[in-house]
Amino acid sequence: MKRIAFALLALAFVAASLSAQAPAVPELKGKTVEITIWTHEDVNRTAIEKRYIDEFTKANPGVKVNYVTYPSAKIKDIVTAGFAAGNGPDIFNLEIFDAYPFLAEGFVAPVDLKAAGYKSYKDIESKYVAGMLAPVVEGGKVYGLPLELTNWALFINKKMFRAAGLDPEKDWPKTWEEVRSVSEKIAKRDGQILLRRGFDFRYPYYLTSVVPMVEQLGGELVSKDGKKVAVGDAAWLKVFEYFRDFGPNGSNLGSPTYTAARKAFDLDKDEIAMSLSGLYQIPRLQAANPAFYDSKEWMVVPFPQWKDAKKVVPNNYYGHYYMVSSQESKLQQQASWALVSYMLSHGEEYLGKVGIVQPTKALMESAAFKAMPYSDVFAKDLAKAHIVYYGASSTKIDALLKEAFESVMLSGVEPAKALEKLRKSMAEALADE
Amino acid sequence: MKRASGMEGKRARWGWVFVAPGLLFFSLFSWYPIVNAFVTSFTNRKLISLKAPKFVGLQNYVRVLSSEDFWNSARATAVFAVGAFVPLLLLSLLFAALIVSLRGWKRPAQMALYSPAVLSSVVAALIWLVVFDPRGLANQALNALFGTPGIDRRWLADATMAQISTIVVYVWKYVGYFTILFVTGMGKIPDAVNEAALIDGAGPFRRFFSITLPLIRPTTVLVSVMILIQCMKTFSTQYLFVQAGAPTGPIEVMTLAIYNTAMRDLAIGRASAMSMLLFAVMLLLSWLQLRASRGGEDAL
Repeated sequence: MKRIAFALLALAFVAASLSAQAPAVPELKGKTVEITIWTHEDVNRTAIEKRYIDEFTKANPGVKVNYVTYPSAKIKDIVTAGFAAGNGPDIFNLEIFDAYPFLAEGFVAPVDLKAAGYKSYKDIESKYVAGMLAPVVEGGKVYGLPLELTNWALFINKKMFRAAGLDPEKDWPKTWEEVRSVSEKIAKRDGQILLRRGFDFRYPYYLTSVVPMVEQLGGELVSKDGKKVAVGDAAWLKVFEYFRDFGPNGSNLGSPTYTAARKAFDLDKDEIAMSLSGLYQIPRLQAANPAFYDSKEWMVVPFPQWKDAKKVVPNNYYGHYYMVSSQESKLQQQASWALVSYMLSHGEEYLGKVGIVQPTKALMESAAFKAMPYSDVFAKDLAKAHIVYYGASSTKIDALLKEAFESVMLSGVEPAKALEKLRKSMAEALADE
Repeated sequence: MKRASGMEGKRARWGWVFVAPGLLFFSLFSWYPIVNAFVTSFTNRKLISLKAPKFVGLQNYVRVLSSEDFWNSARATAVFAVGAFVPLLLLSLLFAALIVSLRGWKRPAQMALYSPAVLSSVVAALIWLVVFDPRGLANQALNALFGTPGIDRRWLADATMAQISTIVVYVWKYVGYFTILFVTGMGKIPDAVNEAALIDGAGPFRRFFSITLPLIRPTTVLVSVMILIQCMKTFSTQYLFVQAGAPTGPIEVMTLAIYNTAMRDLAIGRASAMSMLLFAVMLLLSWLQLRASRGGEDAL
C-alpha cells in the first residue's frame, strides 16, 4: 500500500515539475554571471538538478551555470585542490565533516538572505527541524543550506535469511551480537575464501557508523569539554575486539577489501544479506535492480545496538550542505544563493526521485515522506541520533579511526595498542587545530 | 675568456634557442616547485587558509623526524624500494638477454613485455585489484598450482601480503620498460667481440658474464638509478590499494604520507618538509650509486 502511495506521489512530482517556474532575481537583471557547481555523482540527482538549472537560467538569462560532477571518493580532494589554487567552485557540497574545515577557514559565504528569499537567518532556521543547521551556524549567520541529512539503517535480504533457515521478520538482528551470529549462519565459504557474507560494515565511514557503537557502550570520541579523546577504554576495546573477531583473522565474516556491501546488496546475487545505508539507497536499489525492489524480498530495520548497551545510539546522521564560496564576487554569491535556494525548494522531488531528505519541517511532516517505504524506520532512528563529529580536524580523525580499526582487523595489532596510538594521534590532530 | 665567434658562435646561439623551451619547462615545472616546497617547509602554511603563513624555522623538520608515522613511511618506502629494485633489475636483465638471444620474434616479445608500461598506474592497479580479489585469479592460480583449494592468501587484507602485492604490480608494470633499456645497451656491443669469444669456445653463460655484463655497465648504472628513483616515488598503487580497503600502515610509503599530510591534514608546510627529506634521500642514494659505479670503473 505504501509503495502504491509512493508511486502516485512520484507521478505528482512529475506533474508539478512540468509547471515549475524559477524566480527572476532582480539583482541579476541585465548582468552576466558565470557560476560553477562541483558536486558528487548521483545520476538521479544530476537529472533533476540539471532541469532546475535550465529553469533558473531561462528565468535569469544572464546567468551561465557549469555543473560538474565528481566521484564521491574524489570530490573532497578536488575541492581542496581547487580552493588551494585559488580556483575553487562557486557552489559545492561535501559531507559536513569534510566541509567544515572550509567553513572554519573562512572560505564559505553566509547565505545571502535577499537572493535566497529569506527574511532573516532565524527565518531559515525556523524552516528546518531543530538542530539540523547547527554545523553551519556561526555567529548567528547560516553558511549552508542542507541538500540532505542522512542516517543509516540495516537493509535485510529476506530470501537469504529464509535460505539460511531464519525467519527474517523475527530473526533480524537487533544487537551487534546477533549481527555476528546471524552472519555466521548465512556466510558461505570455500575453505578460507568467503563466497557469501551475512553482513559487512560500510568501510571506511568510521565516524558515521562505528563511533555510535562505542557510544552505545558509554565511550566517547571527544569528551564534552573537548579535553579528552577516545574516552572509555572498555567501550573502545570491546568494539576493537568485535572488528578483530569479525574480520579475516577472526571468524572471517567480512573485510574492507570486499565489494562495498550496499552495492552487492542491491544486485541480489546471493553475495550479502545485510548492509547499512540511508533512505537514498531505496531509489538506487529500484534503479539498479527493479525486479528485486518489486519483489518485496527486502526490508529495513533499525541500526543494531549492543546487548549490554548503556544507551541507545542509532547511526550518526551526516549532512551535505550546499555552500557558496566567499572568494567570488558579491554578484556571483547572490546568483549562487538564488540558484541553491531554487534547487532546494524542490524537497519532495529530491525525496521522491533521489531518496534524499532535506530536513525541513515541511518535508518531514509531508505525506511524501511518510509514503516513502521504511521512512518511519529512518525517522525513528533519526529522532534519537546525533550528528556526526565535525571540526577542523574531522577528516583526519576519520582517517585515524580507519587506520586504528583496520590495523586491528587486518594487521593483527593488539586492540590496546591500537587504542593507545589512536588516542595519541587524535590528541595531536586536535592540538593542531 | 675568449668569446666564440663566427660559425661556432652562431651554432652556440642556435643551441641556446633549441634548449630554451626545455630549460623553461624544467624551470617552471621542476625547479620552481622544488624552491617553493623548500621555502614552504619553513612555514606553518595550511593548504586551505586565508591567513598568511608564518616562518617557523626547523619546526616542521623536527616534528616530522620525531614522528612515529614518518619513520613507518620511511620503512614502508625502504621495503618497497628494496623489494621492487632487486626483481626489477634481475628480471629486466634476464628478459633482455633472452630477447637478444632470440633469432626471431624479438619485436613481439619486446612489445608484450613493454605493454603494461603503457597503461596508466591507476588502470594497472584496478586490474590487479580484480586479480587479488579473494575469488580472483591470484588465489585460483596459486591454489591450482600448489594443490591447496580454498586457501585465501589475503593479497590485500594482510600487512605482509599487501606489501608483496604492491611490489608484484610494480614489477609487472615496469619490467618491460627496463628490459627495453637493457636490450638497447646490449645492442651496442660490437658483434666482433661476441664472435671472437665464440671462436675461443666461450659458452653462452661465459659470454654473458664475461662480455655482456661488463660492457653494459653504463646501462646497468642508468637502469639501477632509474629504478631506485622510481621506486621511491611510487604512489598510485599504494593509494588505490588503501582506497580499496588494504591496511594503510604497511603500505603508507613516503609519497602517500606526503599526500595525506597535505590533502587530508591540510598541513602543506609539514608535507613540504617531508618532500624535501625524500628529495635529499633520493639525491644522496643516486649520488652514492653513481660514485660506486665510477669507483668500479676505476678498479677495472
